Amino acid sequence: MLKNQKIKVAKWYLLGFFILTGTIVNAQQRKITGKITSGTDSMGLPGANVLLKGSTSGSSSDIDGSYSVLISDNKTVLVFNYVGYAAKEITVGDSNVINVVLSPAVGSLEEVVVVGYGTRKKSDMTGSVSKVKASELTAYPVLSSEQALQGRAAGVNVQSNNGGEPGAPVKIRIRGGNSINASGDALIVVDGFVGASMPAPEDVASMDILKDASATAIYGSRGSNGVILVTSKKGKSGQTTIEFSNSTSTQQVNNELNMLNSDQFYNYYKNILPTYKRGTANTDWQDVIYRSGFVSNTQLSFAGGTDAIKYYVSGNYFKQDGVVINSNLERYTILSNLDANVTSKLKVGLNFFKSHIENNGIISQTNTGGTGSAGVVSSAYRFVPDLGIYDAAGVYSLNTIGDVIDNPYATAMENINDRINDVNRINFYAAYEIAKGLEFKTTFGLSSETYKFGKYQPSTVVAARAQKGIASVFNSSQTNIISENYLTYKTDLWVGKFTALAGYSYQKNKFESSTAAASGFVTDLFSYHNLGGGAIPIKPQSNATISELASLFGRINYDIQDKYLITFTGRRDGSSSFSKNYKYGFFPSGALGWNVNKESFLENSETISNLKLRASYGLTGNPSIDPYETLAKYSDIYASSGDVSVNAVVPTNFANDDLKWETTYQWNFGLDLGLFTGRINLSVDYYMSKTKDLLFSNPLPLYIGIPNPVQTQNIGELENKGLEFSLNTKNIVSDSFSWTTDFNIAFNKNKILKLPNNNADVRYATAPGSFLQPDSQVLRVGQPVGAFYGYIYDGVIQTPRTNLTSSTGFEIAPGGENFRDVNGDNILNSSDKTIIGDPNPDYILGFNNDFKYKNFDMNIFFQGSVGGEILSYTLLELGSGTANATTDALNAWTPTNTDTDVPSAKVRTKFISSRFVYDASYIRLKNISIGYNLPKDFATKIGLSRARFYVSAQNLWTLTEYPGADPEVNYLNNNNQNSNRNLGLDYGSYPNVESITLGFNLTF
Amino acid sequence: MKKYIILLLLSVFATSCTDLEEKPVGLIAPETYFNNTSELQAAVNGSYGLMSAEKYWGRSLTLTLLLRSDMCDIGNISTNVERREVNNFSVNDNNALITPLWQQSYSIIGAANQAIDGSKKIVADPAKINAIVAEAYFYRAFAYYNLVRLFGDIPYIDFAVKDISSVDKISKTKEADVYKKIITDLEFAKLWLPNKATVKAKPSKGTAAAYLSSLYLTLGNFQKAYDESKYVITNEALFGLGLENDYQDLFNAAKALSLKEPLFTIDYTNIELGDQGRDFQGFLTGIDLDKTYAWGGGFSVAVPSLKVYNSWDQRDYRRAVSFDTVMRVSATSAPIPYTAFTSAIAPKRPHIAKYQRFAGPAGLNGRTSSNNYATMRYAEVLLTAAEALNEITPATSEANGYLNRILTRARNKGGKIVSYPPNVVSGLSQADFRKAVLEQRRLELAFEFGRWFDIKRLKIGVEAFGPTGFEPQSKFDPSKHYYFPFPAIDITRNPNLAPNNPF
Repeated sequence: MLKNQKIKVAKWYLLGFFILTGTIVNAQQRKITGKITSGTDSMGLPGANVLLKGSTSGSSSDIDGSYSVLISDNKTVLVFNYVGYAAKEITVGDSNVINVVLSPAVGSLEEVVVVGYGTRKKSDMTGSVSKVKASELTAYPVLSSEQALQGRAAGVNVQSNNGGEPGAPVKIRIRGGNSINASGDALIVVDGFVGASMPAPEDVASMDILKDASATAIYGSRGSNGVILVTSKKGKSGQTTIEFSNSTSTQQVNNELNMLNSDQFYNYYKNILPTYKRGTANTDWQDVIYRSGFVSNTQLSFAGGTDAIKYYVSGNYFKQDGVVINSNLERYTILSNLDANVTSKLKVGLNFFKSHIENNGIISQTNTGGTGSAGVVSSAYRFVPDLGIYDAAGVYSLNTIGDVIDNPYATAMENINDRINDVNRINFYAAYEIAKGLEFKTTFGLSSETYKFGKYQPSTVVAARAQKGIASVFNSSQTNIISENYLTYKTDLWVGKFTALAGYSYQKNKFESSTAAASGFVTDLFSYHNLGGGAIPIKPQSNATISELASLFGRINYDIQDKYLITFTGRRDGSSSFSKNYKYGFFPSGALGWNVNKESFLENSETISNLKLRASYGLTGNPSIDPYETLAKYSDIYASSGDVSVNAVVPTNFANDDLKWETTYQWNFGLDLGLFTGRINLSVDYYMSKTKDLLFSNPLPLYIGIPNPVQTQNIGELENKGLEFSLNTKNIVSDSFSWTTDFNIAFNKNKILKLPNNNADVRYATAPGSFLQPDSQVLRVGQPVGAFYGYIYDGVIQTPRTNLTSSTGFEIAPGGENFRDVNGDNILNSSDKTIIGDPNPDYILGFNNDFKYKNFDMNIFFQGSVGGEILSYTLLELGSGTANATTDALNAWTPTNTDTDVPSAKVRTKFISSRFVYDASYIRLKNISIGYNLPKDFATKIGLSRARFYVSAQNLWTLTEYPGADPEVNYLNNNNQNSNRNLGLDYGSYPNVESITLGFNLTF
Repeated sequence: MKKYIILLLLSVFATSCTDLEEKPVGLIAPETYFNNTSELQAAVNGSYGLMSAEKYWGRSLTLTLLLRSDMCDIGNISTNVERREVNNFSVNDNNALITPLWQQSYSIIGAANQAIDGSKKIVADPAKINAIVAEAYFYRAFAYYNLVRLFGDIPYIDFAVKDISSVDKISKTKEADVYKKIITDLEFAKLWLPNKATVKAKPSKGTAAAYLSSLYLTLGNFQKAYDESKYVITNEALFGLGLENDYQDLFNAAKALSLKEPLFTIDYTNIELGDQGRDFQGFLTGIDLDKTYAWGGGFSVAVPSLKVYNSWDQRDYRRAVSFDTVMRVSATSAPIPYTAFTSAIAPKRPHIAKYQRFAGPAGLNGRTSSNNYATMRYAEVLLTAAEALNEITPATSEANGYLNRILTRARNKGGKIVSYPPNVVSGLSQADFRKAVLEQRRLELAFEFGRWFDIKRLKIGVEAFGPTGFEPQSKFDPSKHYYFPFPAIDITRNPNLAPNNPF
């Protein structure tokens, strides 16, 4: 390289140009061509990499496996790489044509795993990492990459927070919840940007899920919930690839509840209210609000490049009409990755991501559920079937029993709930090889995310009738700046290979939000777009927080003869949100690996192609401390004096100078086994993690003198133990037919070890507000988090319980709910509440089968969760006599129908009891698809290099005994504070869906 | 050259060092607050504002007092257990009405303590500071007065808590000592509060004196009860007090601001923010499925026994004001008498009308209303004076006069003067007069949250809840039930608070 060219480069850099045009061709270069084929079937390997050893230049093969590469020296060594195949090195010599046959790698050993701030060969890994491939993420259309993870990796539990709602948030738990009150969300890192939101599934090249402390400690205080490293697609040098894919799905509600029809309802309700005046209609409200949903997903991408510049550009449009009327979503995304080899030593790259989501939703899972605020789905269950949508006067009908609620049609059609979300994210990197083996990399990223929630309750709904319409607009913006700089040094040292990483990271997050609202509108036409049109302004609110994180991190790998692997990792995090006395935390980990198969006694084994033992131990943290949470605080409250609003300030927070992150101490023991040259691959991991200094919302003495007497303190301990199996088998491998299976299963056991106030029970309530029920769950030492707490239901009372004395509000007459007098004192009261269920599954599993027969392919994917329980607030509400009932009510106790466990028809207190706790186990056929690839000759004729057409079906079949609508439930789980302890709750969720998809992928 | 590039990269991005110190915006840090009297006023308002919360006057305190008395029973028999337990004397130490009212009382006190403590930091005219901080003294006294009457011995905190460890092992203060401290606060308030506050939501001199009279009556110190109430009555005009002409006007949100009768009000404006500004009286006392009012019916939770209604002379205008006896299934449909109510949960009894009938703009079911609740009315001061004087000197015309003022007003039936209720017969015996005053307290102040305190003060529970009472409650035990247990969780955390009240 000429010196002046370097200067030019520096100038470009300074000017911030990333599209560089200087492909430098040296006069002495010559061209080598050839074909790369597979050793198994002699087919060309498309997209294989050809690298000039010791440099970063090279190219990749085209669709036939042909390649061409420029070299300048006969001594150049070409390195041929293809995923799943063993690399091959060939010294060029005099020939101009070099054809290469690559053999499949032993197992998938040469798979590269993305780890924090680098990559490792899988055979060199000491930690527990699961990789999810692009093909798994796009097996069927989903909105978010998070959803696509469901069932794909052992120990990764993925659930929608609200059934099949378009745009419903997705909850991911890796190896169970390590926390009680702090967030359990895994840290997501996209192309090195820590805390980013995931790109669309079609843009993801792979996801690497870091599970044990050895893998996650590099993310220090943010690592304890696991880390998901997302790598987006990149261009490869060589032929340009244009891909166009489209899929269209129709969706149906996968299950409805059997509610009473008008006749049945009348017969049921006249037992409760003999004077009940029957309506004239017969309405199936679920029919009214459900419809066929529709999803279309279109993606166009361009990828390619030269040795100097590689690019990937894609655009995606996703549209969904939900299965509930008036709910829909549209998403637009653009993603682009540019990578440039500026010189042989300097590489720069740019990731660009933009998404725009518009979601017009309906209300469901509402946690008040009472008058006026019932969700669409729960009101479809609750609403009397003998009324129509409109009454005789043409006005929306209101429920005539229980709380006064709008009918579900009115709730769905009249309320406006618009959510608009924009994400802009750009980050760039520059990597420079300072000396042989020593690389410096700097990354700088900027992301901003805005969210707007516009809401209008018109005067036509009961909740806003008196107020003549209520409108509100919530706006928030989040700016995230990240700058990271690190050095990587690789060298041969003594008997092994030594790799060291050291770096500094700085991240700053700024969050702002504001709400404006008004009521009393002259017309409903304004929606929320003219707040000034409301006669009554509602107090506006705004807030802002800034937090900073500054960290030092490092890692050392020492690999002795590729047999003995040693890893040390550490990170020191300093956070502005941490308290005065604990600003910095240190999180170390260490791990050992032993590639047993490389020992002489196994080296030539025909059976065992891979055997590795791994062990790791380390500390990771959870920093869920809100900005300013450790400071003493006064806050303003609403107060009026003489009917005029006045300034009012009250103490709300005490300083906590000693609050720190919670720390998870995790052991991991793993075994990787490959048999029969990689036909069978098994990974087993056993882990034990203990989380100490839990960030616990500790109730303060009630007399302390602040409105919400709670303070986050480091109290309590929690344990998770588990076993994970991942089994990959290539059952049949032949030219025309292949069958591979991926099976993963994970067992996790969660236990509370220590609680505040001398291990006193911590009870909390999650029943919808209108139930008026305290304490539905309990945290108790020795029990898992989220245990249900209530009365034991022993069926229907058959003979009067005359021995019960002094029990207020409990039934004693035949036909009533027979609750057990647990403590035997002949009084039923809250002392008889006990643990009545455990929402945590015993195990979760995924079972994937891929078949290929000539040009056909087929995928069958099952996903399941077994052993958890559900507390169904939905069924509790429907069984309480203030709502329409399920057909169970037809079997209600009467003096002549006594052999039943359904109590008599009556208005009942909504006691939390085991009557409404159910087995939540399910196995579900998540996807089945059949695809057809056009014969290559034909495809080429019409200008395509590849064309695949497919039809698939999702959620077609479910095995479960859960009597509610769907066993995948997540009521009250959208809030980080409670997402670990509110498990297995069902209340009026948006229904889950089954869908049929038609789609095609075209590659030009 | 390459070194320069590296240096450049480093210098641009590696220099973003930080001290990690938080500089919050949009928040109030206590150490920078209390610079002037308007900041003090806002802190004082905080204590007052907390009273409007659902956890206090909005529901927990008021519903507890309503149900505990013999004037109001459970309506909807499937309503929450904690409400039924309050009503039928089977409350345990984890009651979902008692716990929030206990906690919120201390929030009101905590806010007052912070204001009183903060006032010492302010440099201004002491008289001006005292006039403002005297409000906080009153709010603290008000909250403790309710607490001590409900719970007896309680933790008494009169300093600004800055450190949790300063109170987490606090002991209880004896009931009698708590009363003494309340008296001290009220005396301070009486000294510094203005004769007439700008609005009834603020206490004035008369308010402090009236509460002193109520407190002394509770303690059986009749002379002081008389002195304080007499002081208020003497200064009636100066303090801007008096009786309204029409009893109904007292329960009309539209007229609330112009009333002279309240001594102190807790204001609601049909605006709620978080827990603030939410009242549920109409919601709890209204008739289920009734469509008479724009906001829809109530939930028939707290409904007087039929005997309360039937025993009340039907000629008494106050009965008509106090009760709703009909419901409508639509705003325009014919009224349905209470004997034929069409709800599965509403009992066939007249319901309380005071908080539904003229609740002003209100949310669904009458919650978040525009009612301004008088915590004490001038009528009560007159009754207190009459009762105390009768105990000191029976059969005075002065005492008769006080009672007759109330009876006279009751004869104003919406502008038309009727003959019922007649004036008190002069020359009644001490016992008969005592009975007459108590009966007028019960009717005049019906459903205004004071009846339970009268039952407790006079220890008449056995009679009130006996078989001939308005609301027989077989579980009432005079050795236990004049006090509530306080939340067990506080005793678990702080054993110094044991033993809890018998229950």
